[in-house]
Amino acid sequence: MVPELEKALAGAKTMSIVGMCKNAGKTTVLNWILQNTGRERVLGLTSIGRDGESTDVVTGTEKPSIFVPEGTLIATAKDMLRLGDVTKEIMATTGIPTPLGEVVVMRARSDGYVQIAGPSITTQLKAVSELFFELGADQSIIDGALGRKSLGARAVAEGIILCTGASYHMSMDKVIEDTLNIYRIMNLPKADTLPPEVEGTLEKTLKQHGEALVNGALTDTMVVPLLRSGVLRGGRLVVRDPSKVLLKPDTLDKLQTRGVALQAVDAARTLCVTINPVSAYGWKFDKDEFRRRMSEAVDVPVINVKEALK
Amino acid sequence: MIAIRFEEREKIGLQYALETLHGCSPFGIEKIRRLRFYAPEERAELEDELYNVEQAARYGEEFKAVYDKLCMLLCQMKEIRGTMRRIKNGDTPDHVELFELKNYLQRMETLIPLVQQVDEKAQFKNLAFHDPAVALAVLDPENTRSRGFYIPDSATQKLREIRQAKKQIEEQLYHAVTDAEKDELRQRRTRICAEEDSEEMKVRKAMGASLAPLADDILEDIENVGRLDFLIQKARFALRYGGIRPQITDGELELIDMVNPELVDLLAEKGRAFVPVSIQLRRGATVITGANMGGKSVAMKTVALNVALFQAGFLVCAEEAKLPLFHSVQMLFDDLQSIQSGLSGFGSEIVQFQKALGEVEQGYALFLLDEFARGTNPDEGAVIVQAVTRYLNGVNAISLLTTHYDKVAENANAHYQIIGLRDVDPDQIRNELKATGDDGIQVIARHMNYGLYRVEGKADCPRDALNICRMLSLKPEILAQIEQSY
Repeated sequence: MVPELEKALAGAKTMSIVGMCKNAGKTTVLNWILQNTGRERVLGLTSIGRDGESTDVVTGTEKPSIFVPEGTLIATAKDMLRLGDVTKEIMATTGIPTPLGEVVVMRARSDGYVQIAGPSITTQLKAVSELFFELGADQSIIDGALGRKSLGARAVAEGIILCTGASYHMSMDKVIEDTLNIYRIMNLPKADTLPPEVEGTLEKTLKQHGEALVNGALTDTMVVPLLRSGVLRGGRLVVRDPSKVLLKPDTLDKLQTRGVALQAVDAARTLCVTINPVSAYGWKFDKDEFRRRMSEAVDVPVINVKEALK
Repeated sequence: MIAIRFEEREKIGLQYALETLHGCSPFGIEKIRRLRFYAPEERAELEDELYNVEQAARYGEEFKAVYDKLCMLLCQMKEIRGTMRRIKNGDTPDHVELFELKNYLQRMETLIPLVQQVDEKAQFKNLAFHDPAVALAVLDPENTRSRGFYIPDSATQKLREIRQAKKQIEEQLYHAVTDAEKDELRQRRTRICAEEDSEEMKVRKAMGASLAPLADDILEDIENVGRLDFLIQKARFALRYGGIRPQITDGELELIDMVNPELVDLLAEKGRAFVPVSIQLRRGATVITGANMGGKSVAMKTVALNVALFQAGFLVCAEEAKLPLFHSVQMLFDDLQSIQSGLSGFGSEIVQFQKALGEVEQGYALFLLDEFARGTNPDEGAVIVQAVTRYLNGVNAISLLTTHYDKVAENANAHYQIIGLRDVDPDQIRNELKATGDDGIQVIARHMNYGLYRVEGKADCPRDALNICRMLSLKPEILAQIEQSY
């Protein structure tokens, strides 16, 4: 199982770890990556906003802190520096403000715990990633957001690790269905060419060109009538990024059956899906069944964080 | 002290001039934003500054690449004055503060030889820096010259031991098998980390203590970095708009072929050129007369702008300049005071005038009155402006008034008139209007000569209004009536 993960991770220079919910196992995955690849490669680590608190603010459960190996580059808010215990070498100040102070880049001169609060704006995250590479990083990792917001990760990373788990919902069906939906949207293929932008109505543009670039959100109310009237059949829809897709799973299915190509401007792909069968709220899924069903739903490796990443 | 309000800065084109500058370092940007005018007592400093700007501009072309490099370095500098002041007060700097300080000093290390390269030719006055090596030795004791800031193991014997112990525990932790073993190691590690933290704090404190005696030198250098930044910008401004170092006089003002950068750029956009203005002013009142749309205010504002630039240590936008140092510059522009609440336009004008006059009588001043008392009826207005003019002749200031009231000029010490349409044949304009079908106003504007000439002896306001009526072919019956009454 783990070699699969290692292989998947090697494929992306920048990656983002996103979760369906709290306690999905994001930090476990992150720590695993840090411990298993951070000694051979220089990793650059930051997060979207604040993360890495040792007790989960929402549920009160004990959460693993982020433990980095020596040599790791970390971008975090200035006030977070004193909450870690690595030996610090300050490498750069970024001028990026956060409520917890300016984002500072440091190199860990020893192993140790760090608290991360990175930038919250896409362009700033990109800038920090570039700074990591300038300072000699081999790979950049962004501890990403949760739920729908995680779809924005695609704009800052080539590879996505999608973490899901029993904490998301009591029903395994629901967890799998919603994870699959995010997975599908996250994995929208990259548009090789850009179709004309929507002018006037989407319908008009589609009739004229057979394809369209939708700048804003793509919703059911826009798409369903066009599916019914047949305007969309065999057409192509391109969105700026996956977070703009607000379609129900059912509508996504219909697009597929009618041969409509749905694509995004930028490229990213999901490297693997991790599952945590234990919920922080008290219930548990059957780990084998959960993993089997998830594996059937997606076509990337599925890893149980509770088993494989000890 | 000269103080010029924001609206006035905009009005005379000073704001525009400042916005063409691109300060690079936080220190230079601050100098531009909080523009300071030299007082008459600071004549020696101002002369040094003007000399420096002139030299910087003179070698601007030759050292263009060096200036660009300097600007790049300045752009990378961060605000560290707060840190320096805290260090001076004995506070312990944190890692990031020490990093930023080291960073600044490293940039200074690169900057100083570049400045010296220019200085060899330019021979700047009062622009020297301390060697950053002394402070850098504190922050980089092992002389690694690395970009980052790191407290080395060698800082104290204890730190070395602590860090070795920490490393050992981490090694053991990595290989530990049982949870109990791990827990025990983690606890030991936490203790060691706390020790490391407190030992590092001692080192930081010691670094702060070693830097404290250098704080004044560093702060002085920062002040000079700001001056250098501003100096480069002033030199570039002079290269862009043409600048000369004025001769400083004891009272008299003379500006030959001066321009106003804002109007130069504005007219250039429209494919036209600004007509340079020359004027000579002495203590007492000088009056500029001329037709409407004739550029009286422009001449006045250009005087104000160049005086302001000069006293802020800029070269002056003119071919030749002789300028005195003023204690204050007061301006009353027709469209600024009407905003005052409560009073009528005229009433507020008088209130403003009183206030300005109070300032003017404090010390040698430049007092500018644009179309004073225009808000009342022309007969009364003329009488008021005549009286004001006579009074200002005796005030210790250069007063400059624009007006088109009659008989004001004869009360003044000197009288300038806009050349305007003096030398234009109305028939020519009428023909041009017929031929081109252009807007009459535009045709007249094209022929208007905005230059000033000095009127000797008595002369009244030019009768350009009648000329304009003729050119624009006012109904002949009316024109005949006007001509009769003249």
